[in-house]
Amino acid sequence: MSVKEKLKRVLIEDLNLEDVEPDEITDDMALFGDGLGLDSLDAVELVVIVQKHFGVEIKDMEEGRPALQTISTLAKFIEERLA
Amino acid sequence: MSRLAPIAITGLGCLSGAGVNLAESMQTLFSNQRNPQPSRRFTTGHPHCYPVLELPAEFTLPLDNQEKVYARSCQLALVAAREALTDAGWDERSLRGKRVGVCIGTTIGCALNCDDFYRAYKEDDNPDIGIIKRYLYSNPAAVIAQQFRLDGPTQTIANACSSGTDAIGIGSSWLRAGACDIVIAGGADELARVTYSGFSSLMITDPEPCKPFDLKRKGLNLGEGAGMLVLEHEEVRQEKKVRGYVLGYGTACDAYHLTAPRPDGAGLKQALAEAFATAGVSAKQISFTNAHGTGTPDNDRVESRVLNEILPGVPFVSTKGYTGHTLGAAGGIEAVFTLACLQRKEIPANIGFSEADPELPATPVQENTRIEGDIALSESLAFGGNNAALILARGDA
Amino acid sequence: MRMAIQGIGICGGFGQGVAALRAALQTGRVEPQEVCIEHKGMTDRLPVYQAAVDGLTEFIPKRALRRIDHFSKMTLLGACLALKDADLLEADRSRTGVVIATGYGTLKTTFDFLDSYLDFGYSCSSPTHFSNSVHNAAAAHVSMQFKATAPSLTLTQFEMSVSSALLTAQIWLAENRVDQVLFGAVDESCEVLHFWRKKFFAEGEQGPIRPFALETQSAVVGEGVSFLLLTRAEQDAAYAFIDRVKLGNHDVCSLRLPQDVRLIVGADGHKETGPWYAQVLKDRTATAYAPLYGSFPAAAGFDLAVAALMLRERKLYLLEDQGVPETTDLQATEEKLACLKFGPAGDYGLIQLSN
Repeated sequence: MSVKEKLKRVLIEDLNLEDVEPDEITDDMALFGDGLGLDSLDAVELVVIVQKHFGVEIKDMEEGRPALQTISTLAKFIEERLA
Repeated sequence: MSRLAPIAITGLGCLSGAGVNLAESMQTLFSNQRNPQPSRRFTTGHPHCYPVLELPAEFTLPLDNQEKVYARSCQLALVAAREALTDAGWDERSLRGKRVGVCIGTTIGCALNCDDFYRAYKEDDNPDIGIIKRYLYSNPAAVIAQQFRLDGPTQTIANACSSGTDAIGIGSSWLRAGACDIVIAGGADELARVTYSGFSSLMITDPEPCKPFDLKRKGLNLGEGAGMLVLEHEEVRQEKKVRGYVLGYGTACDAYHLTAPRPDGAGLKQALAEAFATAGVSAKQISFTNAHGTGTPDNDRVESRVLNEILPGVPFVSTKGYTGHTLGAAGGIEAVFTLACLQRKEIPANIGFSEADPELPATPVQENTRIEGDIALSESLAFGGNNAALILARGDA
Repeated sequence: MRMAIQGIGICGGFGQGVAALRAALQTGRVEPQEVCIEHKGMTDRLPVYQAAVDGLTEFIPKRALRRIDHFSKMTLLGACLALKDADLLEADRSRTGVVIATGYGTLKTTFDFLDSYLDFGYSCSSPTHFSNSVHNAAAAHVSMQFKATAPSLTLTQFEMSVSSALLTAQIWLAENRVDQVLFGAVDESCEVLHFWRKKFFAEGEQGPIRPFALETQSAVVGEGVSFLLLTRAEQDAAYAFIDRVKLGNHDVCSLRLPQDVRLIVGADGHKETGPWYAQVLKDRTATAYAPLYGSFPAAAGFDLAVAALMLRERKLYLLEDQGVPETTDLQATEEKLACLKFGPAGDYGLIQLSN
């Protein structure tokens, strides 16, 4: 499973987005605000999700903010750290 | 809302990382010292170490053996309550026959966050059931009532970080409503691995000493402690000198988000308006504000904007640089500081602030500052969108 | 100051809503569910009065509930039912205060948070669980859901939680800080609670609850929510009036019970509080309703709902330990009831009501 696919699955599961299918989350959809509709509390939970499922640390929000834009940016961040 | 009767404050007591009693705390504040460091009370194995403000390691809480069985939040509450009662000239004997209420704010002090017990429980080990027993008899308001053998209402307020401020506001109302003659009101909270982990997971703890209202602020430092006031009905107080007065109290809920303050500060403004109205005081009469000022980016931004709008030019200080964020105790400790500063006619420098943030229209005082006037504001913002504010006045003692 | 009860929102082991409460009073008994707890390879079966919250999606879309735990769901359901009962679901709530009384707070989420770091390490501590484990999270969800921007307060005083919280509701109304108070009592049960109670009480947890066997442990864990919509008494009351709330300690200063009231006691099978009830009741008769919803601190809020309902319907329901329930008509033009709850140290809360 690609990082992007896995991300979509764990996002739905760990953020309890029961009414969303993985396919409905497009790679470049904004995770916050008008896109998927996540908020600041989800943002910090996402940091935990990335740590828990990928073993990748996001140190603080300065580092996190650019990564936590879309599935693409987050997957890229994770892949770079895993490489 | 209309003006309510002022409530006399006859005793003060507090302890925190800034000092083990009020006199020592004032000395720390006005000599602009602080000592945040890694916790000596617990380890977490957390990848990053965040400094906290604890009571001095060499300090033993002055408690008898019976009192030592309570959870630490209760122990802290008892020590501050005893200091405040002594300050007001009361002891267990003289309190007998009086209707005495206890209204205490806390967070950890009422939560079943017993991770030692729970770890053993999960591992199918024999968990120490004594930990649960301690939780069940460690309700802070009940413990104070029992230890001083009091007859009156008890209330432990769990309104997150505004709990201590709310407790003082509500305790004052009890006296106005005739529910009791005397109230011990304030807040108490211990430092725990649970809150430490929780706040670091929210990414709002500063890896360095906190910097309230500063451009480079990264979050809070946690602290521990308690702050207590003795409030008295005029019929009980009679000729006794007062430390000050609770003139007004306001509270309002953002109804916006579980953890983030409302960006426009509408809830805080509403709480301030209610505090002013119940005090019968206008913003012009406020000589200084003891701000919530946790050092988190969001809190300080909202607070600075609201203070700039409602109290332009009025000096303000966050004392959390000295005490750390003591959560449920903060409102109690800060009310005590506010009254002591009114008496001293001086407020301490906002330690940790050095560089202004262009997003923040108002900045705190950078050095110990003389103040004019007799009335001050102490405010708290909390998880769950609670905002609470007290208007306090100087007394004659 | 007198307060008027305008609506009730209740959910417990007997079901949800006032009609379910009335049915439970008429039948006179409610069977608890059974839960299994496993520890050290041993399985224990225990009775428990559990509250189902399926009714909540009638009021709140599922998506809005994604981060909301069982404790907060019970709280939200109670609030919705009370507003509906008072016909205020669509009203402006800028002057509606929220007061929540709880003995234990949200137990499950507290442990879920501990799980997050005990299972996966401290760097995986869940901020969502942490912020929902804070006692006032449920009140915050109620305020957010209903845009209630007036004061919001959560307090916890074990057995005294309900009477203490009523004091706060009373002063908010008296000081004109609010026009209504959404007053809720809520507690939840969980596996860890069963575990420790089993350690404390052993077979005393098997029920059935015998409230007036004051020297016997016969408690059965319960959970649920009971909301009252309160206003100042200048309006007529849809149910009843709360005339007086008093808290104190009988061990420090003897409680003198008013003579002209019928008593509802919070005796719920906890042996440690038995002697206090025995001391003050002496030759007084009293009724108790714990067998309908179980033994938990917030059950004092259920006693209050029962009192309000009985005053409105002018019927006193009597539960017999095992027999047929009886009903007495409340005839007097001015009927008075009082709910009395003791804590283990002699601390008491006395709430007086009238029609």
